[in-house]
Amino acid sequence: MPTTVVRPSTLDGRQNGKAPPPTTVNYPFTAIVGQEEMKLCLLLNVIDPRIGGVMIMGHRGTGKSTAVRALADVLPMITRVAGDPYNREKVEEGDPLGLGHRKRERIPVPVVDLPLGATEDRVCGTIDIEAALTQGVKRFEPGLLARANRGFLYIDEVNLLDDHLVDVLLDVAASGWNVVEREGISVRHPARFVLVGSGNPEEGELRPQLLDRFGLHARIVTITDIEQRMEIVRRRRAFDADPLAFLAAWEPQQRALRRRIVAAQKHVTEVEMPDDALMFAARLCMQLGVDGHRGELTLARAACALAAFEGRRRVTADDVKRIAVPALRHRLRRDPLETTDAGERIAQAMEKI
Amino acid sequence: MSLSFTELVGLELAKQALLLLAVNPALTGAAIAAAVGSGKSTLARGFAALLPSGTPFVELPVNVTEDRLLGGLDLEATLTAGRRVIERGLLARAHGGVLYVDGLNLLDSDVVARLLGVMADGVVRVEREGLSDVHPARFVLVGTYDPADGEVRRGLLDRLGLIVPFAPQTDERLRAEVVRRNMSASGSGATNEAFEDDATEMLRAMIADARERLPGVRIEEEQIRALIHTALSLGVEGNRADGFAVQAALAKAALDGRGAVDDDDLRLAVRLVLLSRATRMPEAEDRRKADDHPQTPERGEEEEGKDGDESNAAPEPESQQIEDLLLSAAEAELPKNLLDLPFAMQRRGKSGSRGTALNSRRGRFVRAVEGDPRENRIALLPTLLAAAPWQKLRMQNEELRKGKRILNSRFSILSSDIRVKRFRDKAGMLYIFVVDASGSMAINRMREAKGAVVRLLQDAYVHRDQVGLIAFRGRQAQVLLAPSQSVERAKRELDVLPTGGGTPLASALLTAWQMARQARERGIAQATLVLMTDGRGNVPLQVENGEVPPAAQAQKAQIQAELQKLAALIRADRINAIVIDTQANYLSRGEAPKLAEWLGGRYIYLPNAKAEQIAKAVS
Repeated sequence: MPTTVVRPSTLDGRQNGKAPPPTTVNYPFTAIVGQEEMKLCLLLNVIDPRIGGVMIMGHRGTGKSTAVRALADVLPMITRVAGDPYNREKVEEGDPLGLGHRKRERIPVPVVDLPLGATEDRVCGTIDIEAALTQGVKRFEPGLLARANRGFLYIDEVNLLDDHLVDVLLDVAASGWNVVEREGISVRHPARFVLVGSGNPEEGELRPQLLDRFGLHARIVTITDIEQRMEIVRRRRAFDADPLAFLAAWEPQQRALRRRIVAAQKHVTEVEMPDDALMFAARLCMQLGVDGHRGELTLARAACALAAFEGRRRVTADDVKRIAVPALRHRLRRDPLETTDAGERIAQAMEKI
Repeated sequence: MSLSFTELVGLELAKQALLLLAVNPALTGAAIAAAVGSGKSTLARGFAALLPSGTPFVELPVNVTEDRLLGGLDLEATLTAGRRVIERGLLARAHGGVLYVDGLNLLDSDVVARLLGVMADGVVRVEREGLSDVHPARFVLVGTYDPADGEVRRGLLDRLGLIVPFAPQTDERLRAEVVRRNMSASGSGATNEAFEDDATEMLRAMIADARERLPGVRIEEEQIRALIHTALSLGVEGNRADGFAVQAALAKAALDGRGAVDDDDLRLAVRLVLLSRATRMPEAEDRRKADDHPQTPERGEEEEGKDGDESNAAPEPESQQIEDLLLSAAEAELPKNLLDLPFAMQRRGKSGSRGTALNSRRGRFVRAVEGDPRENRIALLPTLLAAAPWQKLRMQNEELRKGKRILNSRFSILSSDIRVKRFRDKAGMLYIFVVDASGSMAINRMREAKGAVVRLLQDAYVHRDQVGLIAFRGRQAQVLLAPSQSVERAKRELDVLPTGGGTPLASALLTAWQMARQARERGIAQATLVLMTDGRGNVPLQVENGEVPPAAQAQKAQIQAELQKLAALIRADRINAIVIDTQANYLSRGEAPKLAEWLGGRYIYLPNAKAEQIAKAVS
């Protein structure tokens, strides 16, 4: 589902009923100035969803939400069974929805927004209330998790989300299946999605278990370079003044990026990770005392995706180095007496190897 | 009748802000700090009159519930119509108009979070109770608040383009005028009314004209650069403010009937957008650069209205010139105490804010959730709402009826329908006063600390707060008062405390940290250390253990290392800290600010701290 652009109020007294539906124009991804780490983390997840999502932490007003919403427009199309609420690529014979005979259709990769205040039944799906009310029949009404299957699920301000909802999301994200038992209905449907969270560190800490489940952890900071900031203001004004013209001007870059992503997706499975790169990843995790193997796995997958994104078929130790900080910064042991920034600690460890 | 926009005296800056907002809704909103009785809410309502007729003006009560805010199922209409009928929430109703909040700082953190989400998207997305719906909701937010009740959450302030700082009304004539106008408004002021209608009419026309002009207003690259440079110098966080500052300058030019932005517009943009977002004084480096520049004579107010003269200058020096102008204007406006600024104040930790917690017993009703009715309070309406849609289905269900799980045949409620109330409650807070009883100033410090403790304890009952007291002198720190609410005990202990001797600051930090941790185990989530000291510890921790003090130089380094480590521990435990520097000599400060930095806490310089000041700074 496309998201809406931030259009300020018109203050012209237009009443709701007559107002046109929200405009569906996103700021182009390629026009975002700076914040390279965040952009790279998002793209790597597009190329290989198994990386496990990304958590974006940073100050307000640095364009976290803009970037995630812009992502939808550079994603390639996917094929699904026409009208399938779960976006499945194919449906088994005897599917309860009776979609087996349907044709396929192309849709954009879904990017689903999980608003704060969403209730569990809307997230997981529930019985169609209207059907129950009017016809007295039980029918499952899929929720946001169904809509997000094979796409992205975006949660702004993850740290403000209710704990029980976070648990549900993590379970589903880990298993890839959503199971609903309610009012005598039992439904199980696929729900594979890339979880993208954003948050502001000042609004409250994220539970470590939660943080750990995200594959990558990007940090964004206020841009202090004047020229870059001028460029942000310039582009934003141009976009606000005439969104469609702005989009048209950026379409070549958007198209180029889309092509790169498609090519990378196609080749990512063929990318080789030679022993020296693997060893480097393993040593780095040992040096930093990262528990478990999630660290190495994420490093390897992200490095392969990076190589694929740059059109290479072999991972180098340099690829590992480039994604080491976002892949590991949230997996370091917490030491209250340690004052060095996680990024610096990783950089130091890499120098030692 | 009440006073209208044009009649209000004072609040000039706030009026300016609202006019800019009316001209340029891209500014998204205005936060106005003003004291009770200054007419701030009248101002906001008067603002509505300046907008085209029919523009929605929706007032958001600070105790709004989630479904009122976002929208929910309309029970009666749903049952009557036999299909879901959604009642739009306040945010959707404000679409195309103004959302007004009186008491912006009193909004619940949940409500603020939802509000921010909707402002970012321009739509209300309802995904609750079986409803899935999207309403457009693009509005400007006008919020007023009394800073005496606490600060507005920073995330919210950040989203609003214009922030009008608190300016106490000091002009006697203006005060008198306010009273006079209020009197005539409450009496019969027929003639006045006609006059004001004209004035309002004129403003409306001005705004309409300015809105037409706005898209054509030009702003030079150098002017944008100057605004961004000013934002950087003031330590403004994030990149959003740049855009707001540009929009404010454009709006001001449009309002004044000009086609291009001038210095005046930039200055107003700095005042209304950047200044309240400052987290530091302009850096010394910036000032030096400015001083070196030849073309930076006092270009002051008297040059207003001149034109053409800046277009002669070469672009680079010109931008420098504007920057200097803006910076000096900013400096003149910055309050003496940077802590009076909302962003600087909240910069480190949330020293003032009490924690809040969702619970099932007391506080403000926030939402209904599924739960066990034996342990919680049932929310009746949400329970009925939850059961309503299934009635037809359940009546058909033989099994349910035979099993007598439906008590009467009219309406069935199963345990899965039961909704219970969730409340949000202020959690109590522990204040730990850590007072330096060493040295010559000790007696004075102790007296004022005592005064502050007593003051806080008097408020404590209201907030369920507790206060502890630690004094340090000689070889080690001493707990004078374990966390308690007893005023009398605190007074007694303080009266008999001897003063003078060494400064075992490290021991004090350790004791305070332990006290905070113990409190946490007892369920007091939030602790604040209030350190009253000059920060010059000269007794290391080891002395306590009976070890021989090493040589002076080594000892100093050791003390520093100890303090740093302890501060890191306190910080890691998210214990708030406020360091009140009691060093009498302004020039030889330095130790206490460093301590505050290590602790990640606030630093306040109060050499002759009075009990009142301390209590105010802390709470």
